[in-house]
Amino acid sequence: MTEHVLHFTRVFDAPRQLVFSCMTEPEHLTHFWGPIGTSAPVDQITVDARPGGAFRTVMINDADGSSYPTSARYLEVSAPERLSWIEDHSAMTVIATFTDLGDDRTQVDIEQSNVPAMLLDPAAQAGFLTSLDRFAAHLARLTRSER
Amino acid sequence: MVKYGHDVYPGHVVTAAVEQRLDATFAALADPTRRAIVARLAAGDATVNELAEPFALSLPGISKHLKVLERSGLISRRRQAQFRPCHLERPALDAAVDWIEANRRLWSERFDKLDDHLRTLQAPSNGDPDD
Repeated sequence: MTEHVLHFTRVFDAPRQLVFSCMTEPEHLTHFWGPIGTSAPVDQITVDARPGGAFRTVMINDADGSSYPTSARYLEVSAPERLSWIEDHSAMTVIATFTDLGDDRTQVDIEQSNVPAMLLDPAAQAGFLTSLDRFAAHLARLTRSER
Repeated sequence: MVKYGHDVYPGHVVTAAVEQRLDATFAALADPTRRAIVARLAAGDATVNELAEPFALSLPGISKHLKVLERSGLISRRRQAQFRPCHLERPALDAAVDWIEANRRLWSERFDKLDDHLRTLQAPSNGDPDD
């Protein structure tokens, strides 16, 4: 049994509907899905935004052209507040929550977990979010000071 | 070349074998007492008695936790000597930290780019044609 959950959050100066659109439309995803040093060509992004629908992307390394395809299925698509998908290969689950903070500001929370069953148990999930987050921060400090 | 692995980070693709080991590592680390033991061992090797001291746990209780940590590969124990000091296996811990760090970096860079993209979309004077 695995329970690791990671949590990432960011606040954007944009209305919630627009931020949600960015996460669900290839024309937007192509601008940010690939991290620094990579690109995510729009013609290789598939978004079928409904439960069971496909979510596929390819990240191309700008330096050597190697590609990193990922394939997932949507579990939940509730515009504009929640989106989740599960990766076919790893069964890793990602839940994106969009919170309207007012004044056209939107908070995005990403919860990444390996356990689809945890979707069904928010209480168990909450406990791990905080403990693993703290642990990750602690480990990062620990290894920095030791190295 | 096409690499399959999970979407962690280009250059940090996780293979199935590594993933399985990570699962064991994270499962071992899911317990607060075991995390405390790992944190203590990061400061240096220690015997079971030394590890049991800060916790309100019996020696058998601590031994159970140590067995889980040992099976996950996070710690090792020397065969010789009656005290059998416990040793933190840094590479196993590093793999877990790296995995967390790679994921954190992936989302951080995505969010940076999304932030730029949202600014472009909302800039009044310079309408982005792809909106």
